[in-house]
Amino acid sequence: MIDGVTNADAIPVLERMVQFAGQRHRLIVNNIANFSTPGYRAMDVSVDAFQAQLSEAVDARRKHHGASGGELELRDSPMIKYDSIGITLHPKPIGQNILFHDRNDRDLERTMQDLAENFMTFRVAADLLRSRMALLNTAIRERI
Amino acid sequence: MYGAFDISTSALVAQRIRLDVIAANIANQRTILNENDEYEPYRRRFVVFGEGDPARGQTAGLHVASIEIDDSPLNQKYEPGSPFADADGYVSYPNVNPVIETMNAMDAARAYEANITAIEATKSMLSVALQIIA
Repeated sequence: MIDGVTNADAIPVLERMVQFAGQRHRLIVNNIANFSTPGYRAMDVSVDAFQAQLSEAVDARRKHHGASGGELELRDSPMIKYDSIGITLHPKPIGQNILFHDRNDRDLERTMQDLAENFMTFRVAADLLRSRMALLNTAIRERI
Repeated sequence: MYGAFDISTSALVAQRIRLDVIAANIANQRTILNENDEYEPYRRRFVVFGEGDPARGQTAGLHVASIEIDDSPLNQKYEPGSPFADADGYVSYPNVNPVIETMNAMDAARAYEANITAIEATKSMLSVALQIIA
């Protein structure tokens, strides 16, 4: 981490978003893989909890470092753990749908919606991150 | 994130095995002789899925835990002229119901498609991620 460069402006926030969406993608893909496994319960983490932790961390960062940048420190929760290189998710069964005869609570439509939404979140964060990187690149090369 | 490919691929493999078993059931829905041409009506097979992928040592994914033989009663048909008829003139035919097999085949095909969609999403995410630096 280069202070003032790789932790400037929105870069750490976007990094966390990309990490979270990438990890959550694995959960959703696993839910899709187990659509017809007897006894399987769909697992997920709370996106709202992540958003709340992120906004809290952004507020704290702004208070300590001003608007220009600085380290982003996220508070762990039982489902989402943060370290310097990534995010570890500890998912729980969602349990919002009825149980079918094979004791699986699959929900095709919601799962595919989650997949699409999570993909778009990832895409937005990655695209914004790319524009920040392009900006850094321009600054390093000193030409437009 | 490459692990997401393994999860989806393990499910594709498992669903294809399920389709193979269904195909064998449909192919043998009138088979009453075994491979040595002896009288032994075919019994329906079905797969049992389990979570995870033990062959690759992963807890996420899907695998076929076993392929079971359906012990439900065979279909009895009254064919007194058949050389395989029992004392009452009935011949046993496989306990395969083509309607159930077709329905299961559709379910397996839909599940396969859902996993293909997931793989496409993973591919797009990876290509977007690779563009961050470029």
